[in-house]
Amino acid sequence: MIQNRFVQNLRFIPMNRSLFSAALLATVLGITAVGCTGGETAKDKPGETPSATDAAGGGTAALRPEPSGEGVKAEGDTIKIGIVGSLSGDQKPWGEDSIEGGKMAVEEFNAAGGLNGKKVELLVGDSASKAEQAKSAAEKLISDGVIGIVGEVASGHTIQIAKSAFQKAIPVVAIGATKTTLSDEGTNVTRVCYTDDFQGPVMAKFAFDELGLRKVGVMTDNQQPYSQGLSKSFSDKFKALGGEIVGEAFYESGQTQFNGQITELSAKKPDGLFLSGYFTEVGAIAQQVRQAGMKDVKLMGGDGWDSPQLLVSGGDAILGSFFCNHYNNREDRPEVKQFLEAWKKSHGGKEPGTTMAALGYDATKLMLDGLKRAASLDSKALIAAINETENFAGVSGNITLKGANGNPKKRALVVEVRSEKDGFQVFRKAYEADEVK
Amino acid sequence: MKFWLGRTGSILLAFALCAGIQLLADQQSDFVQRLIVLAGLYVTLAVSLNLINGITGQFSMGHAAFYQIGAYTAGFIAMKFYAGAKLPPELWMILSLLTGAAVASVAGLIVGLPSLRLKGDYLAIVTLGFGEIIRIIVQNQPAIGGAYGLSVAPRFEMIWLVWLLAILCIAVCRNLLKTAHGLQFLAVREDEVASSAMGVNVTRTKVTAFLLGSAFAGAAGALLAHFEGFVSPKMFTMDVSFIIVTMVVLGGTGSITGATLAAIGLFFLPEKMRDLPNFPLGNLVATGIGIVIMVIGFRHIAANFHGKMVERVLRYLAILAIAVVIALVLGPIVSKLPTLGVPVEGAKLRMVVFAVTLIVLMLLRPQGIFAHHEFSWAWLRKVLRIDTDKKVTA
Amino acid sequence: MAGLELSTLPQQLVNGILLGSIYALIALGYTMVYGVLKLINFAHGEVFMIGAYAALFASWGLGYTPNNAMSGSNPINLLIMLLASMTLCGLLGVLIERFAYRPMRNQPRIASLITAIGVSLLLQYGGQLFLPSSPAPNIDAKVNPYQDNITIPLRPVDGTLVAAAKQLEAKQIETKTAFDGYLERTKESPFQLSAAGQPFKKAAQDAERDLRTAEGKAEASGLSIRLPKGQMIMLVTTVVLMALLNFLVMHTKPGRAMRAASHDFDAASLMGINVNSTITFTFLIGSALAGAGAMMNATFLSGTKIDTFFGMLPGVKAFVAAVLGGIGNIPGAVLGGILMGLAETLVVWAGYDSYRDAIAFIVLIIVLLFKPGGLLGSNKVEKV
Repeated sequence: MIQNRFVQNLRFIPMNRSLFSAALLATVLGITAVGCTGGETAKDKPGETPSATDAAGGGTAALRPEPSGEGVKAEGDTIKIGIVGSLSGDQKPWGEDSIEGGKMAVEEFNAAGGLNGKKVELLVGDSASKAEQAKSAAEKLISDGVIGIVGEVASGHTIQIAKSAFQKAIPVVAIGATKTTLSDEGTNVTRVCYTDDFQGPVMAKFAFDELGLRKVGVMTDNQQPYSQGLSKSFSDKFKALGGEIVGEAFYESGQTQFNGQITELSAKKPDGLFLSGYFTEVGAIAQQVRQAGMKDVKLMGGDGWDSPQLLVSGGDAILGSFFCNHYNNREDRPEVKQFLEAWKKSHGGKEPGTTMAALGYDATKLMLDGLKRAASLDSKALIAAINETENFAGVSGNITLKGANGNPKKRALVVEVRSEKDGFQVFRKAYEADEVK
Repeated sequence: MKFWLGRTGSILLAFALCAGIQLLADQQSDFVQRLIVLAGLYVTLAVSLNLINGITGQFSMGHAAFYQIGAYTAGFIAMKFYAGAKLPPELWMILSLLTGAAVASVAGLIVGLPSLRLKGDYLAIVTLGFGEIIRIIVQNQPAIGGAYGLSVAPRFEMIWLVWLLAILCIAVCRNLLKTAHGLQFLAVREDEVASSAMGVNVTRTKVTAFLLGSAFAGAAGALLAHFEGFVSPKMFTMDVSFIIVTMVVLGGTGSITGATLAAIGLFFLPEKMRDLPNFPLGNLVATGIGIVIMVIGFRHIAANFHGKMVERVLRYLAILAIAVVIALVLGPIVSKLPTLGVPVEGAKLRMVVFAVTLIVLMLLRPQGIFAHHEFSWAWLRKVLRIDTDKKVTA
Repeated sequence: MAGLELSTLPQQLVNGILLGSIYALIALGYTMVYGVLKLINFAHGEVFMIGAYAALFASWGLGYTPNNAMSGSNPINLLIMLLASMTLCGLLGVLIERFAYRPMRNQPRIASLITAIGVSLLLQYGGQLFLPSSPAPNIDAKVNPYQDNITIPLRPVDGTLVAAAKQLEAKQIETKTAFDGYLERTKESPFQLSAAGQPFKKAAQDAERDLRTAEGKAEASGLSIRLPKGQMIMLVTTVVLMALLNFLVMHTKPGRAMRAASHDFDAASLMGINVNSTITFTFLIGSALAGAGAMMNATFLSGTKIDTFFGMLPGVKAFVAAVLGGIGNIPGAVLGGILMGLAETLVVWAGYDSYRDAIAFIVLIIVLLFKPGGLLGSNKVEKV
């Protein structure tokens, strides 16, 4: 039967072939024809043209482009704002804490009467620890009519949210996204945390001055832009101080066996190791470092270590290590005390596990504060108001965004990892924003 | 003459359809637009992989690599050359589509060559490996953004173009199969030795299939890059390749219609489940039991009943009804049990439903939904007329 | 990109072989199933994942929970965990075969492959509903009594350097006591020192650094390899299991049945072999091996986090190992696994850490281009 069809077709080859190629040609030509009409619609879309011209203009374009869309107006009886966080996956502890913090801020705001009688409704989007999910969560929120988005904890996720929000001129207040270039996305992007070009140098200075380290090895998670950026800013500062980076090793999130990398680093005889990745791998690395015989080597890291899970995976190996964080539950400031009291009330007397709770609370509160000061109830006015924030008293410290290009000057704390009994994070030293540059 | 009318008509219809989709999409939110675009891209990917996997019989599991290469190529040339080129956006998009396709097809050639020596599972694992190698190499190139990814600027969103590409891909595959060239592909799939004895150039046929398939995947990648405005290596992991293979097999290996419909269906299934509410675990267990009953019943009928079509359909419906009733009745009852009453997060069920759908469909219809059939009016008439005991599948 | 460091090569070879033994254990399961059914059991990696969870729960059952400070352990605990993991995995393998693969046996193989992918996704995502996965738990390091290393010296350390380091020790202790004494007196924190305390701190730090540098120099003058006891157990287990399995397949009745079934189901059943129970047995053994690998991986590599995607990467790599060695061939799987482990650590040794996950595939492609049947496999190409 196949043969039969084959023969039949052979007879028609000349004709069929020419028809086929003619059809192909026609289609390709047709694409260009339709291109002239269909393309107009694409051009008319808000937010499309400015980003195109900015890039075409070359490197001299303004660092923080202004979103040109007309923005979104708050309609109806409630004002909708959105928060994005990971409710599943690796970053769930942070996502949950930050969303809980955000909810708390909104509840307080509504309990205090809201905005001229209007209540705020907080819509939650799940980014599932994935950048593309963060993007679609943000787009879902935007299509649900939010006039501002709070989030995310991870830089890679926030940048996706920022891109979607830029087109609609919707403000984004990032919670824990520390990647330095994040705020270059547009004037709509701001944050309530410090940046990696601050926390890396803080740890470098701490390692050099306080721990007296001179030879440090660096381990970077190659899948995490956060880790790459942090390793670089740490190394640059540490070398500038006169220290030596004796070795660099790389791994990828999800790997469980680091003996190869550790053997190479161990041969360089470092005094300390800087592990810039997330807590999900750091615990296993710490255990394997100790097992490989590096008993006295000091371990250090960034705010990616901030989770009690670190103690579970790191066991005894991680105790006595240092990392950089945003604030500390033991700090003696009224904001911290009030926040902890309120948190404990709604969480069965427990303190928040990670600092992302406080940062989520701060970020949401900052946006609500902007809402109060905004000239009108739309997203563009909100962007302007947020960028005018001055001396906002947050749980994680004072935040001033006016003239800060979206990056508030914040202080960073270095904490020591201690056992659960001793309170996990023990405050060691604080660095002010101007102290390290 | 009549033929030409039909051909011109269908081309015009395709353009009208794309214009219609664009107009429709403009009214929608970003979220819906995203779904429309991704569905179109997945159709292109599935149909182009079908050319390699289904039609030529070369088991490739590295389609995400070509997709990635196209996406990065488009992103890269937009970054480097758009400013100097001074082209209208539409022309630029066509150009980057073609460039993405060209670069991806070079990669397709590189992967296609081992296929001359390897077969079956060995080829599958090599293509899978190739995909991973490409991803890891890209991840380690700071010049194109490394792990962080590459921003695509300027970017142009053209939804009509996405669907035009999908239609073009379908048209090319369909028309190819109507020529002697196309039969060569099928011949290679059926029996390499016999086909080469009949004068088919096996080498050229295999390489052509890889070239064409990867070119379309590359073009889809270029469109993805412009739609997302951002590409990163994490968007092209092996899961993506698996999902594309799944679409092809589920639709019916070798069936273009099947690949198209499976791509749309499998893409929307998890997306639709995003807002699923929480419900007690007992309901989940009961649903599982219902599904098992349905599968066993359906398989029993398919194997043992040889009566009339109508009677068979009635029996299927009866089993289905029993399964649904059992699931509905059992659910609230078992949920009363303390351990089964705990709530399950509905949103977490997305991929579970996806997986169960895969397993159930494969158990019930291993040859794929459409088997090797294509949609045509003649086929539809044939299916609807059948009421004898002969099965459609053959 | 750094220059090649010859001194770490012996240790890296050891690391490679140890890492490879995990891949080898998983690869054995792949190779057995493939040998009989000609099916890539994509769900094998997920069986491995379930094995890790079984070991985790067993360790919790033994009292090694995160909040419970246990001290010390004994080999019996490990044995219990191993049995739990192997039993559960064996059962799971049999269930998967019975309900997902057996109905597909007479269908095109690509269809069973998709079913396998479906089962794998079901276990990954369905597991998230029931298993603790975020934050990802891990087996408490204390359950492992074999945490220390056996050190084998290859070249003795230089005695004069050791003596030099010893001399610096006194100074280190002296400055440290002085600094501690200062802190004691003034009640200052070492991180918030007044100007008066700075010299003490600096002296202590300098002395410590000198000591460590000297010690490091002394250590570097010698050459030794470190064999972590736990991972050595893993390697020995792998080799023993491989030998047992080879014996089983080559010299016993069930083994003969397996080989017969792998040639031809119909002919085998005509010869009085129960093909179904033979295949069930194959799945039981193969999956139990994955369980053993999972338990040892999660226990002996302390701090290894377990989530429902735990089996994905090892699963794919082990499959590559099985193909590399010649799929269907038992010694080939172990050889492939060990080669894979070696390749991965040697890439790290050469300074290309970032390509660690890619090297497996690069080696595979090169080998298959020259030997399409794998290293120990037959070169007979088969048809899909």
